[in-house]
Amino acid sequence: MKRLQLLRWSSSALSARARAGVRLQQNIARGARYQTTVSPAAQSESGQLADEQSFPPQFSSNPQQSKYALPSPPVEAARESAKLAALHARLYLPSRLPLETLARSLVDTSADPNPNFNNESLATLGHDLLTYYTSEHLLCTYPRLPLTVIFAAMYAYVGPKTLTAMAKEWGVETAAAPGGEVDPGLLQFKRLLPGTELNAEGATMRPNAHQKSWRKSITSRIVYDNEFGEQPQTQAPVDAQGAQGVSFERANATFVRALMGSIYLHAGRPAAKRFFEQHFLSRHLNISELFNFSQPARDLSRLCARENFEPPVAKIISETGRKSRHPVFIVGIFSGKDKLGEAAGASLLEARSRAAVAALKGWYLYSPLNVRVPSSTEEEGAAPWKPVHVDLGEVIV
Amino acid sequence: MRPSLRLLKLEASSLQGSRSLYVCTVCQHEARPRPLIARQFLRNASSNTTPVTERVRRKIWGTDNPPGLKDPYGGEGVFERKFRKNQPQPEEGAQAAEVASQAEHEHASAEEVATDDTYEPATTWEGLTRVGHLGEWSNYAPSEADTYHSFALNKKLTKKGQLSLAAHQAAVELCLMQSLGKPLTSVCNVAEHEKPVFKLLWKCKVQPTENGQWGNALVYPNKEAQDALIYIFEQIGGQPQAAAAAADATEAAEEDAEAVEYEETAEVDGPRLPFFGYQDVKDSGFLSLPLNDPALKFAYLKRLSQLSGHFFPDPVIHSISTVQEAVNHMQTVVQPKPKKLAEHLADNESLLSLPNVKLFAKRQKPSDKDEELGRKKIIENELRARGLIE
Repeated sequence: MKRLQLLRWSSSALSARARAGVRLQQNIARGARYQTTVSPAAQSESGQLADEQSFPPQFSSNPQQSKYALPSPPVEAARESAKLAALHARLYLPSRLPLETLARSLVDTSADPNPNFNNESLATLGHDLLTYYTSEHLLCTYPRLPLTVIFAAMYAYVGPKTLTAMAKEWGVETAAAPGGEVDPGLLQFKRLLPGTELNAEGATMRPNAHQKSWRKSITSRIVYDNEFGEQPQTQAPVDAQGAQGVSFERANATFVRALMGSIYLHAGRPAAKRFFEQHFLSRHLNISELFNFSQPARDLSRLCARENFEPPVAKIISETGRKSRHPVFIVGIFSGKDKLGEAAGASLLEARSRAAVAALKGWYLYSPLNVRVPSSTEEEGAAPWKPVHVDLGEVIV
Repeated sequence: MRPSLRLLKLEASSLQGSRSLYVCTVCQHEARPRPLIARQFLRNASSNTTPVTERVRRKIWGTDNPPGLKDPYGGEGVFERKFRKNQPQPEEGAQAAEVASQAEHEHASAEEVATDDTYEPATTWEGLTRVGHLGEWSNYAPSEADTYHSFALNKKLTKKGQLSLAAHQAAVELCLMQSLGKPLTSVCNVAEHEKPVFKLLWKCKVQPTENGQWGNALVYPNKEAQDALIYIFEQIGGQPQAAAAAADATEAAEEDAEAVEYEETAEVDGPRLPFFGYQDVKDSGFLSLPLNDPALKFAYLKRLSQLSGHFFPDPVIHSISTVQEAVNHMQTVVQPKPKKLAEHLADNESLLSLPNVKLFAKRQKPSDKDEELGRKKIIENELRARGLIE
């Protein structure tokens, strides 16, 4: 059996600053990035060095005093916390995940800026894992989903609101203010100052970003925006102490991501996958409700033209009470001899558009049998990967 | 009109005839007819030979010689007896010894004085006869019965090794007594053995037998020790038959004699190490000896409480079935139950091993909760900024 080199993999994950990508843009000082010609990697190296220099080791003879001086609970406090042990047991976390790491995943960047003690690196890894597992699950299970629906489903599975709700369900409580004397079982972050603008959009690499009124195409969202098709939010303004506050939602989401990352690092990939299936995929999401068609009949005809089907024809299958106050028409849409969809409506137009929606959903929500995701080939002795069918996508009108 | 009044009237009317025949009221009462019972009582009481109670008894039994005690009513009272004793004593004293006691003379002279006109009432108690022995008992020298010897040790043993030593010694002694067939509780007559004897006892091992008999459970270190111990313990019961076996081991007898002497002088020596400084037992086979036989259990626990100073309450005696349980009981008594709940919980291993249970020695107040949440420093900072705390 090959030895898993977790340490080598984790070293890149644990040093948060040495990583390029979308979240990097959120975390490094962006201004400097645009004003210099230094490569991002080199710049992040120097930033890391500067960070290390700015956190000299602080020792004090008085333990009580030093406890107050620390920005986050000391490592050895994790073993004494009843809350932490209870959380560990409640989530049925693998025993190889130590309490110390669980305590670290509860410390937000705003509480302890030292990257050796906060959960940022773990959260970066966990976020990537979560989005990877979710997107491959969505793409392989529903290969014909429109991209907007995929974005919405991604948001519903691993979006910050969902992660916050999950942390709440897990019983994670938040500390009033971070500090060394705080119970390590509490989520620690510095709160936002009142009156802070929450939905301010951050800087992107999108050209003409200042043109707010311009239409953002789906394709540009894939390229420039994050995995939910949204422009990343800005960091909160720096307060008087030099640390930034974060919102409750963001701190909770970061914790859940960091927990996923720490499970991956300590217990390995199978445990991380199991955790993902048990806590994320097990949440019920009705994907058919995520669709929003403006002109379903036109979309359906375009789709039939693209797929070389006969053009769709709407036919009344049955009707009742045409002259009454509440007529009901049941309309089917046929392509040649195949019925694509059928729906009931109070008027002929309504019934037709409903039938078109049903036909479109039937097309888009196609799901193959025996779904297999690419990450399943990572296991030992797994069958070789057989490419799955992924459709062209939605019709572009 | 009542008859008595009528009678009075009759008398008065009769008197009216002749004034010279006046009869006073007392005489009238005398002349009046008395009730029957009173008259009987008077008549019987007049014959002073037998008391009333005796006569009642005779009437009940119907004979002049009723069965039972001479005086079934407890005899004379305390004071009667006292006076009876005081009066004949001087007479006896006068008969027995020529020398008349000084007190009697004084008594006699006092009576003479009383008969004289020069009687003077006493103003102080000086010179008066006393009842009891006021102020005198303290002058008596302490008798044998006045000194108290406690059965058990004055100070209870607390160390674990010493408790085991006591249990081991008691077990070995009772094994010996059982094998010799002597009364088991008589080992308590010897409160403490002399050092060589104790050493022999200490060297003995106990291997419990299958049938639970104590007599065969003892393993002696060697033959000499066995002979010496048997000789010594033959004498403990106070049976003279031990003298026959004494011929071959006279030196052991000397040892024993020394032991008895040493016991007496030991208290004079002052504080001494219990068990001659021995710390622990050599083997622990005695712990599994059974205590099923009630007589044996009683003897063992009696000897153990004598050696260790720990007494066993009745419910505990009832529940004890092996030597191990008796030793366990003493050890739990030595370590008393903690008074605080937190201390009691802190001893609980199963609680301490739980990671999600936290035990606090002190009560957790709202300020502790604040500190746990990180709120305390903010509150204090705010109070300090407003000058409310220093």
